[in-house]
Amino acid sequence: MQEPTFLILTALAAGAQHGYGIMSDVARISDGRVRLRAGTLYAALDRLKADGLVTGDKEEIVDGRLRRYYRITDEGTAELAAEVGRLRANAAVAASRLGLAGGTA
Amino acid sequence: MSVAATRRSRMEKWYRRLLALYPKDHRLEHAEEMVGVLLAADGAAQVRAPKPVAWALRFGQHTADSADLVGGALRIRGRIALNRLRRTHWLSWTVRDQRWSDALAVVSVVAPLLLLVAALTEFRIPQAVASSITGHPHWELTATLGLADLPMAAGAPGVIILVFLRLRRLAGLGALATAIGQVAAGAVPAFAGYADPAVAFTVLLSGTAAVALLLSPGPDRGLALLTRSGTALVGAAALILGGFSVGGDVWFGAQPTRSDDFGGKVAGLPADLLIAAVLVGVAAACLRAPVSRRVLVLLAIPVIPYAFLWQEKLAVDLFGPPGGGSAIISSSIPLLYLPPLLLASLVLFGTWFARRRAGERDRQVASATA
Repeated sequence: MQEPTFLILTALAAGAQHGYGIMSDVARISDGRVRLRAGTLYAALDRLKADGLVTGDKEEIVDGRLRRYYRITDEGTAELAAEVGRLRANAAVAASRLGLAGGTA
Repeated sequence: MSVAATRRSRMEKWYRRLLALYPKDHRLEHAEEMVGVLLAADGAAQVRAPKPVAWALRFGQHTADSADLVGGALRIRGRIALNRLRRTHWLSWTVRDQRWSDALAVVSVVAPLLLLVAALTEFRIPQAVASSITGHPHWELTATLGLADLPMAAGAPGVIILVFLRLRRLAGLGALATAIGQVAAGAVPAFAGYADPAVAFTVLLSGTAAVALLLSPGPDRGLALLTRSGTALVGAAALILGGFSVGGDVWFGAQPTRSDDFGGKVAGLPADLLIAAVLVGVAAACLRAPVSRRVLVLLAIPVIPYAFLWQEKLAVDLFGPPGGGSAIISSSIPLLYLPPLLLASLVLFGTWFARRRAGERDRQVASATA
């Protein structure tokens, strides 16, 4: 799973969010390291929707502009959990080999 | 209207123009919210700074957002095109017999791989790499790309890329075009190519790859049968042998002074000949699959022309160079191409006959039970 996808799913794991909300949340989660732009975000959302990992939620009009919310699906949650497991296992091995505390292998 | 509002309106117009690059469905669904997000991001990026600095920052953000919009449109359009190609049902006829279908699937992995190595070896690329490692002075890169080389130079990497993109049918058509291209290039009198066993090998290998890709479930099934380690083994063996294969005028170790020196007998094998040895590796890897015999029969089709290279080598080793009592059978188009075609016909006839007998047996069993 690529990092932007991982971060988008992580942002949505906390609850449904609209496009700009996801962008801000991703920047916050990644400590400002990853800054999604609209083109990248909507291309990713399009793919995630096609894969059934994300789906559209409610819509609202704010200041005359459409705001659509997106939420993670059960399949998306499972995929994210699996990725977290993979990353955690890899991190544990890396930490162990570097002699850092918390390593397992 | 304030300056800021005029600017926002101008930006909105610009973004809408860029959004026209997106597919219509996507535009209808997301254009409004995307414009909203872009303008919101622009508003959030306003900083208190001297005017030139603020202008430069805004310009940077605006340019990056615009480039990102274009990139997003290209990604979405590319994905749609790829999905459409994958869903297409043209050329959907595949072999019904499960064992032959599986054998062709294995060949659909191995044949494009061998084709790529054959192309690389033709330009002595693996040999040049081997030369840089071993310091052998005679293995040099000969990057002379003529018209006759184009079908292999473009076809072999193209087929591998299409196989990698899981575009089985397009890869099959690419392999077919590579075979036809080589025959067409060989037909030009100046090249006089396809009476050469090495060219016959690549022509027939391209043809075999095309048949395997077009008539089988494809590389996904082939990889499952061949196993990942088997495929890695085949690939590594092909590249190593490609690297250490040499042309007829190049020798392992010191160049021999007499043609009957030991070096001349052991080495000096034409480059493509060693690729044929890879097929033995492929055979070993395939032995684990229940379709191994059929895979070997299919891969034997392009290898048959090598019989001529072997007999030439054997004749020179046993009887000396041509003209000195050597019994070389010179290769010709019928001798090179008829035996492989005969084997392919035997395969077709054999499968047809087996299916017919199985049908008769089923009918007999059905009438006996009735």
